[in-house]
Order: sequence, then C-alpha cells, then structure tokens
Amino acid sequence: MDDLFTPPSGDWQRVSPKLATIRRILILIPSSVLVIAGVLLSLLLADFQWIGGLLSVLALGGAVWGWLWAGRNQRSWGYAENADDLLVTRGVMFKRLVAIPYGRMQFVDVEAGPLARAYGVATVTLHTASPETAADIPGLPAAEATRLRNRLTELGEAHGAGV
Amino acid sequence: MAPESDVATEAVGLRTHPLTSVVQGALWAAAASVGLIGSIFTGDGWGDMSAVLSLVISLVGGLLLGMGFGFLTWLFTRYVIDGSELRINSGIVTKASRRIPYERLQSVDIAEPLVARIFGLAELRIEMAGGKDSRTSLRFLRLADARDLRRVLLARAHGTAPDESPVAEQRTIITVVPPERIVIGTVLSLDFLFAAAGSIALIVGAIWFGQLVVALGGIIPLGTWLAQIIAKRILQQWEFALSRGHGGLRIERGLLSRTSQTIPYARVQGIAIKEPFVWRRLGWLRLEVDVAGYAAHGNDEGVASSSILLPIADRTLAESVIAELIPGFDVDVPRTAAPRRSRPFAPIGWRYRWVGANERTFVAREGWIERTTSIVPHHKTQSVELRQGPLQRRRRLATVEVHTPQGPVDADGRNLDADEARGVVLAQLARARAARS
Repeated sequence: MDDLFTPPSGDWQRVSPKLATIRRILILIPSSVLVIAGVLLSLLLADFQWIGGLLSVLALGGAVWGWLWAGRNQRSWGYAENADDLLVTRGVMFKRLVAIPYGRMQFVDVEAGPLARAYGVATVTLHTASPETAADIPGLPAAEATRLRNRLTELGEAHGAGV
Repeated sequence: MAPESDVATEAVGLRTHPLTSVVQGALWAAAASVGLIGSIFTGDGWGDMSAVLSLVISLVGGLLLGMGFGFLTWLFTRYVIDGSELRINSGIVTKASRRIPYERLQSVDIAEPLVARIFGLAELRIEMAGGKDSRTSLRFLRLADARDLRRVLLARAHGTAPDESPVAEQRTIITVVPPERIVIGTVLSLDFLFAAAGSIALIVGAIWFGQLVVALGGIIPLGTWLAQIIAKRILQQWEFALSRGHGGLRIERGLLSRTSQTIPYARVQGIAIKEPFVWRRLGWLRLEVDVAGYAAHGNDEGVASSSILLPIADRTLAESVIAELIPGFDVDVPRTAAPRRSRPFAPIGWRYRWVGANERTFVAREGWIERTTSIVPHHKTQSVELRQGPLQRRRRLATVEVHTPQGPVDADGRNLDADEARGVVLAQLARARAARS
C-alpha cells in the first residue's frame, strides 16, 4: 500500500530531523508548564488532589504522544524535483501527495520563526493561482531552502505559462 | 513618463458625471432606511420617536450626508487616459493615485445600480489580476461614456489603438434567456419549493391555531430566504443576454440594476455544469464559470461580477457555449468511477461519481440531488493532489483533486480505487505537461 505515495521517478528527499526537535520543544514547553501546575495544585489544595493529578497525567500523556507524533510526522515529509513538477508528500494517517507543475508557480515564500532560525531550518511554500494548492515544505536546512527557492523561481520562469 | 511625485494632484484629466453626488446620496439614504426598517420590524426603533418620523430623518440625513460626501469625492476625482495607462486620482484628505497599465487589465465591467440607472449613469469596474484590492471602480459616468471608455480600454488591452477598432462593437447574440423561463426555473428549484412550502405551512398553521405572534418568528427568516432567492435568481438574471464579441463573451443581465460583464476566452479556468434535481428531469441546466480574479470579490454588492455563465439552458445550447470557451470538450470521456466499496462514504452518491479525461479536458462528476460536472482544460491545471485518510486506506480508496483558481469549479474525484486514483494523478500530470508545451 505504501507504493501509493512513492514519487513516479527517483526518491523522496526527506526534511531535516531538526523539524521534529523544534516541534518537540514547542510541545514540551506548554505540557511541562501544565504538569508543574498540576503538581502544585495537588500539593496546595488537598481537597482537589484528583484535579491536579488528572491535569498532570493528561499533560504528560499529551507530551508523550506529541513526542512520538513529531518524529513520525517529520519522517513522513518528503519532496522531489522532477523534470516538470515539484512533488510534496506528507502525513502518516492522512497522507497527501501534491504535484505542482513548475510553470504554474506564482511566487515562492521562505519563512523561518525564531526557533527555526536557531536550528537553521526554514519553510519553503510554493503558491499557485489556486488557494487549494498546499505546497509547503517545512524543516529545510537554510542552505537547501535558499537553493530550492532559487531553483523553483528559475524553473518557474523557464516554464512560465501565465495564469 | 512618471511625474515628480506619484501622488501629486494633477489638475488635468476628466471628471466623472456631476450627478454622482446625487446618486451617492440616494444610495446612502436607501442603505440608512433599509437598516432602520429592519430594526423597526424587530421592535427597536429610535426610542420614543414614531417609526415614520425616524424613517424620514434617516432618509433625509442619509441623502444629505451622502450628497455632501459624494460631492467632495467627485470634486477631487479625476481620471486620465494616456498612451500607456489609465490614471485615477482621488481622495479628499489622503490623496491616492492609481495607475492601471493597459496590459495588466483583466476585464472591464459596467454596472448600473437602480438609482444610477434612473439618472442614466453607470459605474465602470476595472479588474486587474491580483489580490483583494485589484478592482478599481469609476463612478459614475454617463452610460454612453462608460461604454466608450470600456471599448477604448479593452481595445488598448488587446494591443490595438482604439481608433483602429470600429466605433460600434461587432457583437452577435448567442442567446437571450426569456424572463418567464427564469421564473419557471426558479419556481422548480428545490430550495424555492422548500422555502415557499415552509412559509405557506407556517401561515396556515398560524391561522389555524390563532398563534400569529409565535409563527412570526419562523415566517421572517423563511420570508427573507425566499426574497433572497427571488432577488438572486430572478431579478439579477432578468433578460440575461449572452453575446459574442472579439476577445470574449459578453453577459448583460438584471431587472432593476443592470450589469454588463465580459469574459475573455483566455481567462476561463474551468466550467461547472449544474443540474438541480427537478431541472434534470426537464433537461435543463445551469453553467457556472471560474475566472481568475472574479471570485476574490465575492457577491457582496449584489450586482458584482457573478460567476453565472447561463442561468438556465438546455443541453444543446449549453454544449455549444462550452465548446466555444473550451474547445475539444466532451462529456463522453474514458471514465474512472468510484468502486462499490466506497459506499460507506456516500451511500447513494457513490453511483454518480466518476472522473475522466480526453486530450483536452479533465471532467469530474458528482452529486445525486444536484448533479455537478466540472470541466477543467488541461492547460489550466494548477496542481494535482492525491490523498488518503485512515478509513479510506482500510477500503483501498483515495481522493484525487485537480486544483483550479477560486470559484465554483471543484474538480475532485473522491473515494476512487487507490491504484486507479494514483494512475489518474500521474496521467493528469502528463496531460497537463503536454497541453502546456
């Protein structure tokens, strides 16, 4: 069944494992705050111990699930530059494969938040005239993101076909 | 070419029609009183003041304010047509100057809201490709001037000097939809039948049980819905005329407010054939069209550019119009239908789902109450997507989507056999590639 989402030629280029690290940090901060709040609550309010305990357990469970999800999700992302199209795949449970002909590109965005910058990764998004096209590739190493943007722009101009 | 400052007030150029301020005032008065009538009905009103008095005040106030504002706007608005661009300078306090290079111009529409129409005035709407702010309107001009200006702009956009093109546009009428046909079509649509039957049942029930006040709560929303259906499907589509000119199709429609829009052949991104439940038995259908830039504005102004290409037609006429916009279109294409095991996702609808393609177009069909056939020419394919959720995976199904710019066309093939779906995606990429080169 897995061959349903393989590229027509070549292999998927995978995104950086740093994406999983960044997402784990983003998940761990709120969940650790919740765990601490839960522990404090059960220590301070003897009558409502069970609320604090429940909060801690739920937050801990969320953190463990998020930790595993981040790893699996990061491994599911992939992209391939074919002769005429860019292919992007993602998702473990809900799988997607989007193919965008280079000539359909309207513009390319490169974005990086503070945490992403600290880890040296960025998100590249390819926009077409259709709002349905979801072609973003997160967790690209900065150099690769710049290379991909330049290459997509170049290819877009070479294949350009207007709207 | 560019003057010293981009927003320098130029004392040159043409003004719009002086009656603009009157029309603006009337539009404001209408808006003010519509809002007030609504609140009078719900029982708010203006404190102790009588309903009639407050209505008069809002009418006069809206008229005066609107006229004052309209006059100032008119005083400070000028437009210039030169060799390479149309320039519109406006603004009372904040000066704005917009330049519209002719080659960026996507379409020019003429709208005549009811009030403006009484004075023989019209609004010129100029569309450029781009985001939300891509529409410029010039209000209000004499209808003949607006038509002249549109002709000049369109001629320049097509790269010909305006004096080379004939004074009167060469147009051949394709069809005029008779008003009675639109009325019958609307009456036979399911939502109208439902709204009308609901209203009648409520009124009868209210009289029967003598509970008028209680029923009012149900009649007002139903009545509003009914009025909206009538306004949208009958008044706006009244005397719908489709004609053919050089460069595109022209649509003229409307009973109270008239709209005249042009759809250039090259800008058609896709067409949807919609066959509502009752109409299908009579062989009628509706055509809607995806044009880049139109859908971004929505239908907020009522008379705005709409995506309806033919409000009601029979199959032969519809096919000839589609053939004109998308040459090589054919519904009888090799099909990939949804398999029987997709039944849990659509217990009835799965039978009517298929996608297919010939060498020119991609076709997707779905729906059993309102049957929709979406047609996308291969060279307009923006991107192709294959997707699968956990439940679909258990049944070896997958969904194919062919993306088009925002609009009524939605060429999706949901819950197809997974391997066939992948085949459709790859084949579509190859066809789109072949169509572009």
